[in-house]
Amino acid sequence: MKKEKRVMAISIGISCFALALVMSMQFKVVRETDITSIQSMRESELRSELSQWKSKYDEIDEKYQEVSGKISEYQSKKESDNENSSLLEKEQEQINLALGKDDVQGEGIVITLNNVDDVEPKINAEDLLVIVNQLKNAGAEAISINDERIINMSDVVNINLEEGEFFVKVNGQRKLAPYIIKAIGNQAYLEGAILGNGGRADDLQTIGHEVSIQKDRKVEITKYNGEITTKYIQ
Amino acid sequence: MIFVAILLGCIVGAILGINAPIISYTYSSFLAIAVIAALDSVFGGITSVLNGKFDLKIFISGFFCNAILSILLTYLGQKLNVDIYLAAIVVFVGRMFTNLTIIRRYYIDKWSEKVKQRNIKSQNEE
Repeated sequence: MKKEKRVMAISIGISCFALALVMSMQFKVVRETDITSIQSMRESELRSELSQWKSKYDEIDEKYQEVSGKISEYQSKKESDNENSSLLEKEQEQINLALGKDDVQGEGIVITLNNVDDVEPKINAEDLLVIVNQLKNAGAEAISINDERIINMSDVVNINLEEGEFFVKVNGQRKLAPYIIKAIGNQAYLEGAILGNGGRADDLQTIGHEVSIQKDRKVEITKYNGEITTKYIQ
Repeated sequence: MIFVAILLGCIVGAILGINAPIISYTYSSFLAIAVIAALDSVFGGITSVLNGKFDLKIFISGFFCNAILSILLTYLGQKLNVDIYLAAIVVFVGRMFTNLTIIRRYYIDKWSEKVKQRNIKSQNEE
């Protein structure tokens, strides 16, 4: 009888122990975790949430990479564009210089030709053309006649050479004596070309016209005033 | 002796449980259902004592088996995505109320009988 009672007491004690243990643990868990929603979430919920955020992050990161790639592409394009534009600008400047669309200045000579009344033949377009040609031959970089820039399409023609009112047309503009020809280039070469043996200025001087040549460190030649248009060039 | 065992077990268990490491909240539902099952067994045991049909073997086996079975059922419910622990709680708590009713009736009957006997005694004395 006594032994039975002891067994009973021990077993009931063990069950009480287990019950109290589990209950107190549970109380503790509930007290500790019932604070914020995140803590009370199930592990699976947290996991799904996390994976959601992760996928979102991946998506956004991908977008970011794409956009930053595009930006760097644009940047490099912009840089090359800048390079190109500066190069183009330089080129344009040179072309303008060559075409005579810019005012230029530099060392050169200024030739003044004037008719003397009773000397025939008068100075005409042919003389001017020859002089221009000779100057070009001597390496002239820019030439103007009475401030009309000589460009590749410039015309220098006689008008009314035989009859009354004679004048020379340069670039379509009516020009009368005295003719002032400005040229930029090596002064000695230019002078030599028109004054030396066979030089047309020398010839004119010999005939009796007034020819004066001025060397200048800073000859200023204005730009071509007309428009360079093309109609038939395709 | 039994009361000493009960007291000792409760105190030691409570101290140990408070000092035990925290279990993850995920598994706390298992513990909760085990607690409910154990409490049901306790009330069932008290009822059987009052009825004079108490069997230690049945009590102990019921105590642990119910707890473990309810834990297993809850686990299964989680796997099946069905809240089986709700059914277990309904059954256990329902039985607890039934047992409590039996216990209450037993003591009320006893008390009222006592009162009746005292009344009879006092009448007899007169």
